[in-house]
Amino acid sequence: MTTSTTHGPGGRAGTIWREVTQHGLLWPSVALVALLLACGAKSPGFLDVTLRDDHLYGQLVDLLRNSATPLLLALGMCLVIATGGIDLSVGAVMAMSLAVSLTYLDGAADPSSPVTVATALALGLGLGAVAGAFNGFMVAALGIQPFIATMILMVAGRGVAMLITEGQITTVTSPPFKSLGSGFVLGVPTPVVIAVAVFVLVTLAVRRTALGMFLESIGINREASRLAGVKARSTTWTVYVIAGLLAGLAGIVYGAPTMAADANNIGLLRELDAIMVVVLGGTRLDGGRFHLGGLVVGALLLSALERAVIIFELPSQTTPLFKAVVLIAVCVAASPYLRGRLRTPRPGARGAQRPVEVAA
Amino acid sequence: MSDRNAQADDAAVRMTGITITFPGVKALDGVDLVLRRGEVHALMGENGAGKSTLIKALTGVYRVDSGGIAVDGRELRFDDPSQAQAAGISTVYQEVNLCTNLTVAENVMLGHEVRRGPFVDWRATRQEARRYLQRLNLDIDPRSPLASHSIAVQQLCAIARALVVDAKVLVLDEPTSSLDKAEVAELFRVVRTLRDAGVAILFVSHFLEQVYALSDRMTVLRNGRFVGEFRTAELSRRDLISHMVGRSGEALAGIEEQARTAVTTHSSRETPLLTAVGLGKDGSVEAFDLDLYPGEIVGFAGLLGSGRTEAARLLTGADRPDHGGLRLQGSPVRLPTPLAALRRGIALSTEDRKKEGVIGDLTVRENIALALQASRGTWRRIPRRELDEIVQRYMVALNINPPNPNALIRNLSGGNQQKVLLARWLATAPRLLVLDEPTRGIDIGAKTEIQRLVTELAADGLSVVFISSELEEVLRLSQRVVVMRDRQKIAEVTNGDDVTTETVLETIASSGVHAS
Amino acid sequence: MSTDQLTRTASRGTGPRASVDRVRGYLGRVDRRFLPVLGTVLTLLLMLGVGQSRYSTDRASFLSMKLLSNLLVDNSYLLVLAVGMTFVILQGGIDLSVGAVVALVGLATAKLFTAGLPLPVVLAVGVLIGTSCGLLIGVMVQVFDIQPFIASLAVMFLARGLANVVSTNSLAIDDPGFSALAAWSLKFGEGRGLWRINASMLIAFAVLLVAVYLLHYTRFGRTVYGLGAGDRGAAVTLMGLQPARTRVWVYVISGTCAGIAGILFALYTKSGFNLTGIGMELDAIAAVVIGGTLLSGGVGFVLGTGAGVLVYGLIQVLIAREGLDSWWTRVFIGAVLLAFVMLQRVVSVRRR
Repeated sequence: MTTSTTHGPGGRAGTIWREVTQHGLLWPSVALVALLLACGAKSPGFLDVTLRDDHLYGQLVDLLRNSATPLLLALGMCLVIATGGIDLSVGAVMAMSLAVSLTYLDGAADPSSPVTVATALALGLGLGAVAGAFNGFMVAALGIQPFIATMILMVAGRGVAMLITEGQITTVTSPPFKSLGSGFVLGVPTPVVIAVAVFVLVTLAVRRTALGMFLESIGINREASRLAGVKARSTTWTVYVIAGLLAGLAGIVYGAPTMAADANNIGLLRELDAIMVVVLGGTRLDGGRFHLGGLVVGALLLSALERAVIIFELPSQTTPLFKAVVLIAVCVAASPYLRGRLRTPRPGARGAQRPVEVAA
Repeated sequence: MSDRNAQADDAAVRMTGITITFPGVKALDGVDLVLRRGEVHALMGENGAGKSTLIKALTGVYRVDSGGIAVDGRELRFDDPSQAQAAGISTVYQEVNLCTNLTVAENVMLGHEVRRGPFVDWRATRQEARRYLQRLNLDIDPRSPLASHSIAVQQLCAIARALVVDAKVLVLDEPTSSLDKAEVAELFRVVRTLRDAGVAILFVSHFLEQVYALSDRMTVLRNGRFVGEFRTAELSRRDLISHMVGRSGEALAGIEEQARTAVTTHSSRETPLLTAVGLGKDGSVEAFDLDLYPGEIVGFAGLLGSGRTEAARLLTGADRPDHGGLRLQGSPVRLPTPLAALRRGIALSTEDRKKEGVIGDLTVRENIALALQASRGTWRRIPRRELDEIVQRYMVALNINPPNPNALIRNLSGGNQQKVLLARWLATAPRLLVLDEPTRGIDIGAKTEIQRLVTELAADGLSVVFISSELEEVLRLSQRVVVMRDRQKIAEVTNGDDVTTETVLETIASSGVHAS
Repeated sequence: MSTDQLTRTASRGTGPRASVDRVRGYLGRVDRRFLPVLGTVLTLLLMLGVGQSRYSTDRASFLSMKLLSNLLVDNSYLLVLAVGMTFVILQGGIDLSVGAVVALVGLATAKLFTAGLPLPVVLAVGVLIGTSCGLLIGVMVQVFDIQPFIASLAVMFLARGLANVVSTNSLAIDDPGFSALAAWSLKFGEGRGLWRINASMLIAFAVLLVAVYLLHYTRFGRTVYGLGAGDRGAAVTLMGLQPARTRVWVYVISGTCAGIAGILFALYTKSGFNLTGIGMELDAIAAVVIGGTLLSGGVGFVLGTGAGVLVYGLIQVLIAREGLDSWWTRVFIGAVLLAFVMLQRVVSVRRR
């Protein structure tokens, strides 16, 4: 390959250059940094972070706070995608979990007591886990395609949330519960703390154990994994439960600041955001290799995008347009076609990407 | 046989100086190939010799970097398969490349449907399809989905498709690898009819007997280079092999000696390691009994579809039996999953390496670690140092190439992939290793290495079940041979000088006189 | 591998046993291809039966041309969307953009009328907007090898964003020609039994007929099925057909259908609104799946999709007649979807 001679003084530099440019995260990271710098240039106070009443404030802090929900969703989504699946139901699960938590608080004698709040939280998370278990049952036990299996809950879930709230937008007052979404821990917004904690937890659970390798092997070749002794079925089931659980948590964290269970709109189209974060983070949608670190970049990029639209005084409704542009740009940049074009010209057809397999 | 097609200007296809380069690899380097009308031409070479690449150049799947392809004396350039087909070149691939969700008629006629105005006239199209199928003595309902037929029938449908396009050149890429004997005979009959009708046929097969039975001429490739073109009648098998491997075929003889000595020295008969009692699965394999002893290689002989793979899967927890059960060292044991078998020291190396063996996008290291890690559970990860040691040991012991544990396994050749899979199972320190077609589709070098390894493992006390389509190979390695036919175990013989491929074939052909 | 071995004896054998196998195989074959659609039709009949027994009065039967006419008037846009989606799903892909495209086309139509363009031009531009969205997805999928899910998701964002740029308010369409087109209908019967055929229904039927022709009577259609066979189009390529072109065309067709559906929806509501069609792609996918097409591709019938759309519309009618809150619709659709997915699962297991 010519890169080693043209782009670095030595072979090692060339290797590093190649690894950087070939890395899936390069373009999303570049986009994120560029976006943040552009915002900083446009609005000088953007990059400032101030400490007020022992709490961190500033645009960047808000950015982090807004990234928490997509990150939580994307963590679960990424594991599901690694197994070759997809979970379209997470948005509806967010709505269901929040609905059940708030409805419970609404009916409780003292919505502010710690026990009540803990129960409400447990109910919300529990419902998320149950929803995930249902998806997992459909996919792992019945062998139904993940897209359609999770679409069932995506369609029906919001109806169920409506049933829970009886069609009302339930609003309650419970400061402890509300602080899950709008409070601070040691000056850092609670959602950020929760997201970081969950991220660390999931990363440890996946990379310090064999779970990550098993997920990838299942996603690449399920039957071969089963024959190699991997518990494909229960492992798949587990990740759907995790995704459901995290969706429930995301619903609570996202809805807590408003304390209103709007079953129609909470988490609407959030599943698509989560999938977008996973893809921006360099994980391919067809399963196998996945990159948790990329999710952080993806989630930040998504929120930065939403924020930038406001900073540049564009109508906020145009956000999808920019999401589309970023998504298309990142995917096209990562596409084998373009990479092939950027490298040496190849002979023949699209099928000739894997020389050794070809020769075998 | 040979003087029938002597003239050189009989060439239907003349490929000269074909060179194809993939990033970093020269897959073909100035290869020539001449296919003559009314002749069966065999393309020979080890895996990686460039046979598939050459075929794909001929059929328009790959574009050539340099060199020319002339069909009927006209220089042509193929940018995609449809152009090659338009030039009269049809191909039947190893894994039948038809659409199994469409009907037989649709598959045979697709691209050449009978039309009435802007509409496809399905009734007439079906009749046409039936006509072509009947030319191949194939009496099946053209309306039936292709998926409802056996691979052999599907392959004949692919040939019928070649008739439809009025192919001048028919390429058969490993067409017999999943056919039984009768089906091969039927295929050969069809191929000979086509040959006599003046079609130029390119035949690729790993089975030397078939090549000698069918071909008039052969071209040998080695490492992407042209070695020579020979008349089949004038080239001995020994010479052919030495042309293919580039060295004398003595290596093969050596392994046989080694295994033969193993046969005489190792036949301990104390306690069976694993006993199958009336083990069977409906519609898959009928109930059979079997004892497997430590240090012994038991061969399963039988054609594809004889139930040998199914029996192996029942022994190793890959499938669950409907009848009977297993005893491990005398005590009953259930193996509901491959994992359960693995934890008891029973491993299965599956027949279909690509679909049921390798995890393509994982590294060699991860592929080796997978089964051992699975047996230890999800949460106790193998410490890095221990894993490195294991991987290193097997990569050296099995001579895995390239010697890089971080290479993706899908980039390895078939033989090396098979060795990685062997390493995967050996790393779990099994007591019983069931090898289903461990040497299929890999080159002779890797084949001998694997055969040698198997005998060594048995010498170390491992119990081995060895399944192969090549009867010679089974007889060369095994102390005992289980003969299977029609999903039944029909005989069990102790290997010895009186047991030859002929006697085993006789057993398979007979009506089960030797039934146990 | 074992599949072939199982079927092997059935196809080779002779004698009475084999003929039994053959008969069984034949039945199994019929089951396999028609069972999901049969399920759709049965469900449709069941729902009509329930409706008939519960909501018929002395004066008016539930089952009537009027019911059918209303169903089609309310769902003609969905039928067109689902027909387009059928192509994509048969081919093994997915198109998430159609709902957003409907919104974009509706708004663009309204805007173009305000700009004073004549009716035919507006309609043509509206449909072409859909076509270009489809083309964009097709190019991303085919040339850049981006998964259909992501490619169509990007176009969904794009179309939604553009719709928001056009207007965030509902724009009424008061072009006289357009209004006349929306109001035009053939009337049959009289009094309470009056039923109509309007322009939307005719257009939707025309689209359905063209789809039947394309999918079942052309080589293109067989290529679409072949691409859905599950080997990434390898077989189709090696058979010398045109997989690349076909794959792009499928998305172009779906996009065009979305464009037409956008016009139909505008005719239905006589306005354009940027929040229209959120989740409409799911309705279309659900209708296709209920109509017996396997989401994995390669198996299904476009007429089944028609039945699927009717089932979908009938659920809404029944919920409304029952006086239940509208969110029950979602729950019911989820349940019906569940039932059909299970049915398809059973069928495909039997096929093994």
